[in-house]
Amino acid sequence: MSIVLLRVDERLIHGQVVLGWGGELHPSRYVVVDDELAASEWEQDLYRLSVPDEVAVVFASVADAREAVAGWRGDAVRTVVLTRDIQAMAALAAGGALEGMEVNLGGLHHRPGRDEVSPYLFVDEADREAVRALVEAGTVVSGRDLPGAPRVPVDQILQ
Amino acid sequence: MSVVPPLPPAVRRRIQLRAFLIQGSWNYRVMQGTGMAFALLPLLRHLGLRDGDLEDAVGRHAEHFNAHPYLSSVALGALARLEMDGASPDTIRRFRSAIRGPLGALGDRVVWATWLPLCAAVGLLLYWAGVGGGWAVAAFLVLFSALHLTLRFRGFRLGYESGTAVGPRLKELALTRRAERGAVVLVFLVGGLAGLLLTGDTAMGGLSRSWSAGAVAAFLSGLVGGVRLWRPTALLTVGLVVLVTFFGLRAG
Repeated sequence: MSIVLLRVDERLIHGQVVLGWGGELHPSRYVVVDDELAASEWEQDLYRLSVPDEVAVVFASVADAREAVAGWRGDAVRTVVLTRDIQAMAALAAGGALEGMEVNLGGLHHRPGRDEVSPYLFVDEADREAVRALVEAGTVVSGRDLPGAPRVPVDQILQ
Repeated sequence: MSVVPPLPPAVRRRIQLRAFLIQGSWNYRVMQGTGMAFALLPLLRHLGLRDGDLEDAVGRHAEHFNAHPYLSSVALGALARLEMDGASPDTIRRFRSAIRGPLGALGDRVVWATWLPLCAAVGLLLYWAGVGGGWAVAAFLVLFSALHLTLRFRGFRLGYESGTAVGPRLKELALTRRAERGAVVLVFLVGGLAGLLLTGDTAMGGLSRSWSAGAVAAFLSGLVGGVRLWRPTALLTVGLVVLVTFFGLRAG
């Protein structure tokens, strides 16, 4: 399998991902799953700025990503899949497409109505619902901002 | 977005002046957000926003934002343009969240990891080459501020001219490649500095062999261990300072 990281992060592609995780995992492809971004060229140009030229960046809508995800798991390109929210990741995982894989929650920031789990992780009831859906779809969910940091277990996120 | 709407110079100057305080109310919740809103306030007032509209506008610019403090000026310029063009709050929100990451990463690379240690190395070299301490400090400040102020003022203009299309313009500047070249110069300067420290009589009054061996060992361990760290040059800089401090204490 060549999806090396599944991550939920509101900032999508940014320093922590490219240097922190990218430096550890050496991906050759970033896939950003987001309906709005897939349709917005100027935003794609901005997100591409953070990635070295030789690394591919693919922007896909949730629907397109659902069709392509088995291919990403199967081919040889080391791939990081990013979504902006847990719901999009849950949509991707629905039906077992990501079964047995780890889902990393790396950055959901403060917003009114969200409860703090850790300094980089704030969730509301809809987020917790999506986490349950991810667990049901056979993935292992935990919080972690950087590769060296300790994991925040799923029980603590669902509390 | 073909015609750039003129921004009154007085408004531009006030935004740029306020931008120096962009981290003045830095906090974990919105980071530079309040600083961004504070900097853009003269423009929002210039646009005639009042009461509820003004509050909404300040609110959307005060949301979470974090980038390099100098390169935030690029975002400020582009956001000023978006406000002038009457862009929707949603476009503004999405622009803010797309631009902060790249500007943060570029600034870390160009300023903190390359230009700051490079200017520091120039200052130290001048000092140990016999230039007076005051002149070495002045050289550091002038050199460092030259790029700092260029990034702020030209960055603001670039952002204002481009609006949401700032991505390709930033790419054209090839800042990352320039930082790589700067890093080569930095290594050269650090080499010269090490040579000066280890051999020059004026610098430390001559050093024993054991000190030289210790410095070489520190350099090698930095070389081996440093690459695994997030920012190797940061380690190099810290190592250099520690080394110089030790030597300085010994000389004193």
